[in-house]
Amino acid sequence: MIAFIIRRVAIMIPMALAISAIIFFASRLSPIDPLNSLISPDAAADATNLAILKERLGFNDPIFVQYFNWLIEIFRGNFGYSIQSGQPISEILALRMPATLELVLAALIISTTLSLLIGLVAGANRGGLTDKFSRVLAAIGISVPDFFIGLALLNIFAYRVSLLPTGQRISPGQVTFIDRLPHLILPVATLSIAMLAVLIRYTRNSVLDTINRDFVKTARSKGLPEWKVMWSHVFRNSLGPVMVLIAFRLPLLVGGAVLVEAVFQWPGIGKTIVEAVTVSDYPVIMVVSLLIAVAILFASFLVDIVKSILDPRVRLGATIE
Amino acid sequence: MTEKVPSTARLLVRNFAGNLTGMFGLLVIFLIITSAIFAEEISGYNPNLMDGMSTSLSPSTDHLMGTDQLGRDVFSRVLYGGRNSILIGITASFLGNLIGTVLGAIAGYLGGKIDTVLIRISELFMTFPQLVLVLIFVTIMGQGVNNVIIIFALTGWMTTLRLVRSEFLSLREEAFVEADRAFGFSKKRIIFRHLLPNTMSPIVVAFTINIAIYIIAEAGLSFLGLGVPVTTPTWGNLLSAAQAPVVVEQYWWLWVFPAVAIIAFVTGVNFVGDGLRDVLDPRQRTNAKNKTFAATLREKLFGSRKQTIE
Repeated sequence: MIAFIIRRVAIMIPMALAISAIIFFASRLSPIDPLNSLISPDAAADATNLAILKERLGFNDPIFVQYFNWLIEIFRGNFGYSIQSGQPISEILALRMPATLELVLAALIISTTLSLLIGLVAGANRGGLTDKFSRVLAAIGISVPDFFIGLALLNIFAYRVSLLPTGQRISPGQVTFIDRLPHLILPVATLSIAMLAVLIRYTRNSVLDTINRDFVKTARSKGLPEWKVMWSHVFRNSLGPVMVLIAFRLPLLVGGAVLVEAVFQWPGIGKTIVEAVTVSDYPVIMVVSLLIAVAILFASFLVDIVKSILDPRVRLGATIE
Repeated sequence: MTEKVPSTARLLVRNFAGNLTGMFGLLVIFLIITSAIFAEEISGYNPNLMDGMSTSLSPSTDHLMGTDQLGRDVFSRVLYGGRNSILIGITASFLGNLIGTVLGAIAGYLGGKIDTVLIRISELFMTFPQLVLVLIFVTIMGQGVNNVIIIFALTGWMTTLRLVRSEFLSLREEAFVEADRAFGFSKKRIIFRHLLPNTMSPIVVAFTINIAIYIIAEAGLSFLGLGVPVTTPTWGNLLSAAQAPVVVEQYWWLWVFPAVAIIAFVTGVNFVGDGLRDVLDPRQRTNAKNKTFAATLREKLFGSRKQTIE
């Protein structure tokens, strides 16, 4: 197990470094002066100051040296400053990150739980009502833009029937989590529907694959009740491939969050990056995209660990796809 | 005495014609593209003509899909928007597939270090959510129709690369490739003249499905106000009107109709893609139950599919 973790970390670290390199060098292709990312705007007002600063901050160094210096600063927790607001990026992140985490985690938990349940039922009763429903949902999932689902939900549940708030994370005067809960419902529903569509279909197919295996027949012939066969034999063994898919879908979820946050004026990371791109605030774009990529890398690492616990063949290096 | 054997292409057309959902999808696509081409004649309005007397009208017989806040006819804007959105989808999908195919062919045939490097690069690209990757490129390159197409192509070649690579990996061990090598053909010739035509089926399917993906991506990007500049109508640009809460609340026709156009077109494209997959690439078929009548018939007449295609 430990050897497996070490092996996975050994792959992950060069990947993370490569990602940071891509982001850094790509940002140098941008027409904006990189100096602004490291100093607050008021210090940049004087031209002679600027020249001295440029030398002192190492902007005359070779570009590779600059890259490593940038990387070291990131590790120290100095993410630089926003060009737009002059605010330290770490402050922006601290403010915006919890909102996105809340949204993505809730959508992840809800869509995973629901899709596993519905997928199991659809797979167990192939051709039944649940199966047909899941097929319709899958068709919707690939051809309807998720932000349109958000707009429709907003129009129906927030405007026509004034049941839920029209956006934002908090209404004035509300403090507790229970107060904020209604704000969470529509964005999470939007994000979950988009995820559900793919996951249900996949769980269903995975369940169908497992149902025809020999060990399921054995379990049935032992005289186990059907629900027990389904639960402890079919379901558990169908989980592996589904976990892999969830890891693959994480980028999609984060990408979806960018659009959903725009629809519901949700003050999260997605909104931050869109605002930053609008005004070419590229220090913010660099740090946020680095963070997203590394977070996804780390999440897929965690999924690999969980997968290896579920299925020992994974950590022994056998390929099961 | 020569027996008349139908050509592969003709067989494919005949099989596709027997695929009901595929044909339905083709019909939808055809209708939308035709009406986009004859946008002005069909809608009867100039998409950019502002009419101060008739702003924010709900749908009526005069304006089938209503008018926007500047008094422009939404129906004609949806049709004109279709021109640009479809153009972006098709061009970007073509270019992205071209990059993926060439790199995938190189990786799959040559193998070794080049293969490892290309696979690693594609993994790097896939770590980012596509939208975030697109946004990074938008920052560097700026907005505009051409830039959006290039950015989509640069961020969407990875799946094609993997597809083509895995096809090549299995094909390069086949006897006819060995024969090629024995003849002393150049690598370039073996890859592009002999192997590539045999991988065309999955590439065509990927090209079709990617059109749908890019049209939805364009809608998302332009909805955020970061895609095509608002002066050029696209389905995404029309939808971006819904960034204003008042539009979401009161002027539903401004965002529902462009969305319906997207959904109809994308569903059509996906149906055609699934149909093509059924006809072209039996191994990737999603569900045996969806087998078309023609396919069943052909299997009975000609034996298994694989023999008839190769």
